[in-house]
Amino acid sequence: MTEGQPAPRPPSSFRGVRLDAIDIVPDSCTSQEPAIPIPAFLSQLAVSGVAVLVIVALAAAARLARSTPPLDEAAARALLADDFPDAQIDQVWLAADGAAALALSGSQALYLFRLGDAWVARDLAWSDVASAPVRGGRLHLPLSDVSPRLARPALAGWAPETA
Amino acid sequence: MLEAPFDPVKLAIPFFILAILLEIGLGRLRLASAEYEARDTAASLAMGLLRGIPALLTAGLIFAATVWVWEHRVLTVPFDAWWGWVAIFFLDDLIYYVFHRLSHERRFWWAAHVNHHSSQHYNLSTALRQTWTGGLAGTWLLWLPLAFLGFSPAQIAIQQGISLVYQFWIHTEAVGRMPAWFEAVFNTPSHHRVHHARNPRYLDRNYAGILIIWDKMFGTFQAELDEEKPRYGLIRNLGSFNILTVAFHEWIAIGRDLASARSLREVGGYLFGPPAWSPDGSRDTSKSLRARWAARQSAGATPAE
Repeated sequence: MTEGQPAPRPPSSFRGVRLDAIDIVPDSCTSQEPAIPIPAFLSQLAVSGVAVLVIVALAAAARLARSTPPLDEAAARALLADDFPDAQIDQVWLAADGAAALALSGSQALYLFRLGDAWVARDLAWSDVASAPVRGGRLHLPLSDVSPRLARPALAGWAPETA
Repeated sequence: MLEAPFDPVKLAIPFFILAILLEIGLGRLRLASAEYEARDTAASLAMGLLRGIPALLTAGLIFAATVWVWEHRVLTVPFDAWWGWVAIFFLDDLIYYVFHRLSHERRFWWAAHVNHHSSQHYNLSTALRQTWTGGLAGTWLLWLPLAFLGFSPAQIAIQQGISLVYQFWIHTEAVGRMPAWFEAVFNTPSHHRVHHARNPRYLDRNYAGILIIWDKMFGTFQAELDEEKPRYGLIRNLGSFNILTVAFHEWIAIGRDLASARSLREVGGYLFGPPAWSPDGSRDTSKSLRARWAARQSAGATPAE
């Protein structure tokens, strides 16, 4: 050891693992570059955005969506049974376009609607459905969820008083 | 080393894009099972694309916290030691299991994770339907013990990236089952299809990241059954492709529930109970759905007298 020079720090260890501290100055502090290069981030975002558009366009062009033909009563009952396997369905009303169905199940209403190539189901109190307004031939159903909060199916033969 | 010399996720982005294009192509040619709906795909990819923006809000905090803990570490694991990478591989994967289980079984963390499960499709684009609020939910705290043990922030970030990249390819129906030895040890498309399924039998199963062994050890493993095809999505599926709805709907629902809470117990239940917890038990949780499914199975298996 040369006199006048600081003694090197002896490496300590624990079961063979070195315990001496290593440089903890952040790499970002040793250069003038900003920690988050905003222009690079934005350009990456833009390039990725273009890639997303291309993929979505190809996915649409490839026609890989599921087949979701207009509902009939049997299909509506089968789909509702997936979401509400314990429900006994008393009556079903279908939307004129086959994209939705409303069912009475005891004191509950079960509502089914198409979203893209899939189906979404909700349940609500029948009393809310029976008192829901009909405007322009469409029932205005108040759903309690964040999305959607309101459904507006045009149900064929809708007459809650006959249920 | 503090900052990772490379980011596995960034490096993998070209692979992500090519793999999705390949899956679409194979699906189009009917060489593999692949279902894509354009708006669903757009929502998934937009969630992945834009996740970096909200992540900026918490990235500094997470980095600073990790560095602070690492400065108070008990050991120093050299960045270039092979055994360190082996150790962090297993430790990170175990922490991922804990994180993932917590993210499904407690509503506060489910609110940050639910968007990943909100698609009714299961394809490679679904893998990119990433959280925007994970940083705010604080699950990154679970990884701090690694820094305390002596793994550098860079090593932790790289291993997390490797785990995320691994988990990309398992989001597909194009791959049936891998060889039996692989299925026994690793998380696979088959195992992860179960995880994304909403069939009662499959709920809250297969939380694994890379290794499926944790689910087998902790009793949350469920094999995919040929007789029960997974139905993907949520117990109550979203009725929108709006990415703001996808990202925040459960947080909004929590807020509405908290506004109606009448006691501290209800506040605690709405925040930290199982997803869909309610004071009167009127909502369906995974547990209640599984119990009713099991009861139906038992009733079906019981011979009529």
